[in-house]
Amino acid sequence: MIRSLALLCLALAWLPVTHAQTPADPSLEPATTVAPATTGGEPGPADWMAYGLDIAATRYSPLDLINRDNVANLRPVWGYRTGHLPDQEVVEKKWAPETTPLKIGDNLYLCDALNVLVSLDASTGRERWRYDPRVSTDHIPYSATCRGVSYYEVPDAPQSAPCKRRIIEGTLDAELVAVDADTGQPCAGFGNGGHVDLMEGMGDSVPGYVAVTSPPTIVRGVAVVGHQVLDGQKEDAPSGVIRGYDAVTGELVWAWDMGRPGESGLPEGDEVYTRGTPNAWTTFTGDEALGLVYVPMGNSAVDYWSGNRRPFEKPYSTALVAIDVTDGEVRWVFQTVHNDVWDYDLGSQGTLVDFPVEDGRTVPAVILPTKQGDIYVLDRRTGEPLTPVEERPVPASPLPDETLSPTQPFSVGMPSLPRETLTEADAWGVTPLDQLWCRIQFKRANYQGMYTPPSADRPFIQYPSYNGGNDWGGAAVDTARNILVLNYNRIAMHDQLIPREKANEKGMVPLGVPGGTTSSGGSVPQAGSPYAVSISAWRNGFTGIPCTRPPFGGIMAIDLKTREVLWNEPLGTARRNGPFGIPSHLPLTIGTPNNGGPVITAGGLIFIAAATDNLIRAIDIDTGEVVWQDVLPAGGQATPMTYEVNGRQFLVIVAGGHHFMETPAGDYVVAYSLPAKGDPKLPDFLKD
Amino acid sequence: MSASPNAHGFAYWALKLFAVIVALIGLALAAGGLWLIALGGSWYYLLAGAGMLVSGALMFMQRISGVWLYWLVFAGTLVWALWEVGLEPWSLLPRLLALAVIALLSLAFVPMLRRPVGREART
Repeated sequence: MIRSLALLCLALAWLPVTHAQTPADPSLEPATTVAPATTGGEPGPADWMAYGLDIAATRYSPLDLINRDNVANLRPVWGYRTGHLPDQEVVEKKWAPETTPLKIGDNLYLCDALNVLVSLDASTGRERWRYDPRVSTDHIPYSATCRGVSYYEVPDAPQSAPCKRRIIEGTLDAELVAVDADTGQPCAGFGNGGHVDLMEGMGDSVPGYVAVTSPPTIVRGVAVVGHQVLDGQKEDAPSGVIRGYDAVTGELVWAWDMGRPGESGLPEGDEVYTRGTPNAWTTFTGDEALGLVYVPMGNSAVDYWSGNRRPFEKPYSTALVAIDVTDGEVRWVFQTVHNDVWDYDLGSQGTLVDFPVEDGRTVPAVILPTKQGDIYVLDRRTGEPLTPVEERPVPASPLPDETLSPTQPFSVGMPSLPRETLTEADAWGVTPLDQLWCRIQFKRANYQGMYTPPSADRPFIQYPSYNGGNDWGGAAVDTARNILVLNYNRIAMHDQLIPREKANEKGMVPLGVPGGTTSSGGSVPQAGSPYAVSISAWRNGFTGIPCTRPPFGGIMAIDLKTREVLWNEPLGTARRNGPFGIPSHLPLTIGTPNNGGPVITAGGLIFIAAATDNLIRAIDIDTGEVVWQDVLPAGGQATPMTYEVNGRQFLVIVAGGHHFMETPAGDYVVAYSLPAKGDPKLPDFLKD
Repeated sequence: MSASPNAHGFAYWALKLFAVIVALIGLALAAGGLWLIALGGSWYYLLAGAGMLVSGALMFMQRISGVWLYWLVFAGTLVWALWEVGLEPWSLLPRLLALAVIALLSLAFVPMLRRPVGREART
């Protein structure tokens, strides 16, 4: 049944419907609306208002109904399936929902990986409405991902006006969609029947090239949206322009196009937003008081060679950019890698805190962790570092046609995520034979520490890598106790530049040319530059065992006052990992690769899934000890969230799996709470 | 060497198989170790591999000295592993676990190797 429904949805998805031109016909929506929902009251501590709890993204809930004393009794109390899985091949190669729902009043709001919007009763998980923007699967870029949706209340509209309260999302097929939060009906006054076409002004593109995977950040009524541009395809890629849209009307308020300084409107005539510029694919943070949005930027499309980059793009690549939401002007820039050729793009969402400095004062700050393991603390008014940052010399490129920065910044005033310099003795395996093979690979490769320049004559080892450090799950901060909690990966990569002639022989072509694909996780063509690049995790090709030792991932807590590490523990058990891809079923905490962030509550608990063991767990924030865990019906590569409704605290996670993390795919929403009388019967997928 | 193959029991063939496995692992370690030295890496693998190759050959010839030689390699490995990575458990795993299993298995053949060669062929 579910499968045939999924096939039907897929079939519908292929229909050439363009919502931007025609208002969606409400009669086409599945008739599952049960009752008009009550949104009730002002948002409060019981709510989860934005992707990271609120636009400051602290992921710190003041709720303590679930706490250290009773967490052992936490049980699943309801489950829900979004019911929209496409065909198996797409699911296996592309599925990675990464979704965190919102909770406002007594409603949950979320999207599935193909942008179907859903509202659920926050106490029971019963579906209230759904809205399907019909995103075709050929628009899926690297992954089918929708990290979440955004909530906005129109300040001067009467309470009963349609779309007074609205849910806004960006889609994989590059639209901004707004629907009424109570009914799921598209907002007639937003764009064209509730849809805004984000491809306007973008020029040439093909499906899968430009996709929105993160929720817009709404500051002072402006919905700021970035988009992913598929990595590594070609120099002439669509623009990475960042845009602000009126959250009421969907009109473009400004566009920050770094290639057209001084202009903030839609390009006129035949012009398009400057092509091949760095993009921002992760979630932004916002500050209502300052009117700023903090945009973690990535790289332009050619990640591993810088020779074709233009002077105007270099300052913004792999940098945190503070943009004024009223006019789209850049207020300040802080660059975490100069001339990045390592794909150390900023994946982490910044987190806003009042940072404790000397003599008991606090400074409004943004905390930004990176993939290479630095944790930056910046004054969010000016971008000035609040903890010491040093420029240190790094190796030069061996390539004749590459010039790298002679120095790179290191955040020496804060602890860094584990990233020790590797030696031959760090090469790992399970037996002396596979260890020996990894040692040979290490000695054959080029390695000069974390800024080892890419090379073509032999492989180069990247550690930490674009999979390392902290990523889109970001960090959480216990703002009451000034404790920063963040999870990280320790994964080395074994990469090599491929000269163009050789890449041509291998038939490496970009997306849009016959033979090109959206599979950007491995080798990519980097067309228009002299090199393609081969990218793979550094592991034994035969057994699949990594060439670096466990833990492959961990979680750490840092005291923001003393700037010292409180504890640092491996995250994730070996139950689903083992040689030859065979699950070992061992309860051993090995520390697995992980994706998805932590949540902290005033109950003294950290909730996190993220690891490849399909577990969700509660960790005591004082000790780092796991005090509760449960098996999810699919991979938990998403940040959980928590809220209170009717005097009861819930913990909710989307268990959707992740193709790159090789965890089982699913469409599950699972809610945990302390059991109570009258809890609905659990669905089969939550029974033990 | 002794008479027809079917004159030998399970223990005899187990020893032969074990000896061949030890020798092959030794050969692989020695060959890879030589490559690693050529790349400027550790000498351990060549030395340990050569030791295991000779040990396997001796055990194949039913010499108890093969077992003693293996234990010498293992003792050396232990010292080398502690010198190279200290007490870090994950780093000790590849260096010690598999070789420790082989060391323990080798002890099972000691009683049979201590008897003069011809007499154990009872079945």
